[in-house]
Amino acid sequence: MTESAIVSAAINEWLPAGEPTPLLIDRLADAAIKALREAKITPGELDAVICNTSSIPFDSPAYITSSAQHFAHRLAERIGIREAQCMNVSAACASAAIAFAVADSMIKTGLLKKVLIAGIDNSPRGFYLPGQSYLDPDPYAAAIKVVGATNPAYWAMWARRRAYEMGKDINDLKEVMAIVKEIHSQYGALNPYARYKKIFTVEEVLKSAVVCDPLHLYMICATSSGGGAVVVTDMETAKKITDKPVKVAASAVGGPIYGEPMPRLRVFSTYKKLRLFTEWRKPIEKAYKIAGITAKDVDIIECHDTSCFHTINWIDQIMGWEKEETDKLIRKRQIRHDGELPVNLSGGTASFGEAVYSQAFIMLHELFRQLRGEAQERQAKKNLRIGMCTAYGAYGAYGCIILEKGW
Amino acid sequence: MKKEVPIIEGLFKWPSEKPQLIGSRCPKCGSIQFPKSTVCNNPECDHSVAVEEYGLSTEGTLYTYTVHAYSLREPFQYHKGPYIVGAVELPEGLIVVGRIDVQDEKALRIGMKLRLKIGKLYEDDENIYLTYFFEPVVEND
Repeated sequence: MTESAIVSAAINEWLPAGEPTPLLIDRLADAAIKALREAKITPGELDAVICNTSSIPFDSPAYITSSAQHFAHRLAERIGIREAQCMNVSAACASAAIAFAVADSMIKTGLLKKVLIAGIDNSPRGFYLPGQSYLDPDPYAAAIKVVGATNPAYWAMWARRRAYEMGKDINDLKEVMAIVKEIHSQYGALNPYARYKKIFTVEEVLKSAVVCDPLHLYMICATSSGGGAVVVTDMETAKKITDKPVKVAASAVGGPIYGEPMPRLRVFSTYKKLRLFTEWRKPIEKAYKIAGITAKDVDIIECHDTSCFHTINWIDQIMGWEKEETDKLIRKRQIRHDGELPVNLSGGTASFGEAVYSQAFIMLHELFRQLRGEAQERQAKKNLRIGMCTAYGAYGAYGCIILEKGW
Repeated sequence: MKKEVPIIEGLFKWPSEKPQLIGSRCPKCGSIQFPKSTVCNNPECDHSVAVEEYGLSTEGTLYTYTVHAYSLREPFQYHKGPYIVGAVELPEGLIVVGRIDVQDEKALRIGMKLRLKIGKLYEDDENIYLTYFFEPVVEND
């Protein structure tokens, strides 16, 4: 199998959701060109352009072939390609991570050498409200219509169940979530691309309005617009481009697993057979196996934190912890840049807001910079060799990427 | 006289003296789903027998819940906060997401016994729209 490596990464400044200008295609092209320039590759050399689809509602009167689902093709036309394969990958909020995994597997097979992975997204503000077309009236898509189960409602249920299974008081978990926000916001303040620069205190978080208890307002991410681009090549090419190629040790993709007890976003039911959050853990296990590492080898984490509960659950699943080890780590502030296990030194979704399907670019960009010692004031103090990125999305979408110093 | 209409068709039997959620069950491997499906969802199933419609148990226990403080915007504005969303564990091993109807949210306890009821979600000029709820089983019922 051919080794693959990231040779460049660029992201936009994340902006408030719901604003149609500056145009998404312009911001996307901007990030793409930036990444290509850092990679010293012209668009004509690309073997593929792979983008995440977007969550944007269809805008065409015919309601088909929405341009918002075809950014790879629009970008390819914008920047100019010779023969690059173009495709858009759809996996809800894990789309960008999974687009990356697709690109990575194409390079690892030896079929392609130079791939641009890019994407951008925007959404209406507030709660995401999934719709149903009259052409696809699948009752399975209608939990919000029938029950009023928004995304935060699901997350809140997950949080409460975790507290219950660990025998913890829910207020204890609230405090740990508030500390997560406090710490993530400290790094958002240092990330020029993050939308929110305000540093929160635990007290402010706990005083904020309850949205879906136990989740308070400041424990839930905002909605944003943003995107990024990453260039991945085979290792031989990467070493000619940069003396610091970031090796892709593994990329793994998950799905909705039969027997996962916890109702995943938007479903009406699950069939209880397996350990709680098995489907979060599965792609992580796959990635460990591919990379030939275990949890103790992970030096730094960027995880998809649409709520502060997600940070806690991701650490649980990445480390394989089941008995409050994560809570203790967070309470001791050991997820800071000077801690044992830095988490979301980008500032996380907590500081960016979620740009829906393109969220993983924040994480990939951060790990790329951290591993190369280019994260400036956010730079982790400890010696970094291996970073892990985890993403998730509605319907049971999961992506896990392990990056490693390739020099 | 307004007509009573399920908010969407096919999730529960209505009108009915003893309403149940409508799922499906595979006679070959026993796997149960909700809402109903045309194929079995067990990854090991050989699909040699067609799935059948299956009425879910009407009683279960609270698996987890949240109080949703805010109302939703159009077109779901009839979901007026605060309301309770929960997941209920049924004896079949299914965990079903639904609205929980309690007088006092402080009475909610994971593990508490609940039972299915069909109730009004909202009404407009023509219809009363129904959805399914779970309410506490009161001892001595």
